[in-house]
Amino acid sequence: MKTLIDAYYHLLNRLLVATVAILVIPVSLQIVSRYSGLIPSYIWTEEMSRFLFIWMVMLGAMIAIREATHFEVDVWPELGAKANAALRIVSHIFVLIFALVFLYWGIKFVQFGWYQESELAELPMPFIFIAWPLAGATWLVFLAEHLVANVRILAAKDAS
Amino acid sequence: MTQAVLSPGMAALALFGSFFILLVVRVPVAFALGLACLPVLLFEPRLSPMVLFNETFKSYNSFILLAVPFFLLTANLMNIGGITNRLVQLSRTMVGSWPGSLAQINVLLSVFFAGISGSSTADAASQSKIFIEAQTREGYDLSFSIAITAVSAVLAVIIPPSILMIVWGGVLSVSIGALYLAGILPGLLIAGAQMATVHVYAKLYNYPVYPRASFRDFLCSVAQSVPALLTPFIIVGGILLGWFTATESACVAVLYAAALSIFVYREMDLKELHDALLETGKLSAVALFCIGTASAFGWLLAYYQIPRALLANVTAWGMDITGVGFFIAFIFLVVGCFLDAIPAIIIVGTTLEPLARSVDMHPVQFAIIGIVSLAFGLVTPPYGLCLMISCAVAKVRLRYALKDTMIMLVPMLLVLAAIIVWPQIPLILPRLISPEFLR
Repeated sequence: MKTLIDAYYHLLNRLLVATVAILVIPVSLQIVSRYSGLIPSYIWTEEMSRFLFIWMVMLGAMIAIREATHFEVDVWPELGAKANAALRIVSHIFVLIFALVFLYWGIKFVQFGWYQESELAELPMPFIFIAWPLAGATWLVFLAEHLVANVRILAAKDAS
Repeated sequence: MTQAVLSPGMAALALFGSFFILLVVRVPVAFALGLACLPVLLFEPRLSPMVLFNETFKSYNSFILLAVPFFLLTANLMNIGGITNRLVQLSRTMVGSWPGSLAQINVLLSVFFAGISGSSTADAASQSKIFIEAQTREGYDLSFSIAITAVSAVLAVIIPPSILMIVWGGVLSVSIGALYLAGILPGLLIAGAQMATVHVYAKLYNYPVYPRASFRDFLCSVAQSVPALLTPFIIVGGILLGWFTATESACVAVLYAAALSIFVYREMDLKELHDALLETGKLSAVALFCIGTASAFGWLLAYYQIPRALLANVTAWGMDITGVGFFIAFIFLVVGCFLDAIPAIIIVGTTLEPLARSVDMHPVQFAIIGIVSLAFGLVTPPYGLCLMISCAVAKVRLRYALKDTMIMLVPMLLVLAAIIVWPQIPLILPRLISPEFLR
């Protein structure tokens, strides 16, 4: 199971690197095409960069749940390992609710936009909207992993 | 719009109440903002959770915010491509012989860095790695080293280019070119205040001093850094001359930094490039995801007309322009303690704008007050990103460096007060260079 999640996580990382790298291209083209007759003025460079950008944000937000790098506010004094694990479980349950919301209404969101096409390049919009339910599903997987780990800490005997 | 079931007061209580409770149990800010919207969205018959999707989609589907990953990428490329090293060398020849040399270099490097990248978090991340360990090895206190690295990092969003200015200009329709010019003087004043603070610290604690660099060394390092130092002129100049838009300028910064790294300094390899891209994607996505849910939250505040209800009392106080300025700075400073700067601009900036307009405050001055106050929020707990990053690099908890950070903030706050009392400070450069942008 863990290797499967690891593989998925690496795939997400690869995709994220690709989106950032490719993102530079349409915006550069947009500047260049304005000043040279060599390249036809691609009107969809702007749209393409926005769509890549959406995927970059959503992919990064998925990865950050596994790495626990989403910014949080720390108002607690130094906690013991168990208290910390308990607090983590509480916060993860709330994030879990949010993940379920993204999954459930995200599917409706995709269905709603099923026949929509983008304004300029006429791409089918579900390609974009699918990022939301996918994020919800991905969070569920990563959160389950965290929850199991924290429950184990709580259940462990006071050996440490 | 008037037929909402919940009254503004009730809705505000539900939204802010659940947001703060979620923050306390350590739900990440982005998720706390989204979850806080849920009860209201489910309860109000005319709304549905679809609002959450429409608003997040709308905020990510924006060309303006593309500047965020680009500026982070610029900073990362500078670090791996050898640009940062050249700038450290240059700073050393300039201020190395002053008391507290390494800390002075730290501040001056932030000024140079700020002129190339527009991201404070990137500045804090890279300079923490360079300076904190080096300073403690030379006998500086750890808490001082963390604090000066974090507070000098905030210059990146005040000195152009700046992510916050691009967002502010986009959200509140102010000329970004004018904001860039307006940020220069306040940024340099804050840098000066920080250097003075370092000077006092260095005298008090006898921090080490480097031997004076020869004038020849100085000229050599200037020659080496000239290509890098040209970046701010290319970016700001390009925008003022209308060559490219603000977002495109961030892309130009990426291309320029990449070109310097590959063709001039030749220090980049593929593995590092991959890591730079990955780091950029991760950090910008985390910051941007938060903007999406913050927009949904802000949309709900507007739906219930909560900002208007809150401001109704304030306008009745009858403050003059300076009073309003201090009030605005105070609100942004408080909000900056709890929220990231970009969501704060979206939620609070739009809320306060009518107030600023009511006393004829210049939109550019309003913007600079807001951005400088929010920049200070980057080092104020509980949610001060730059301080969090520096502490994470030094592997200590945030409160460890808190006292020194607060001491360093005092002179910086005086600069903020000066910006409020004398509108000329931000306005003089745009008036001189491009008065057409101020209209």
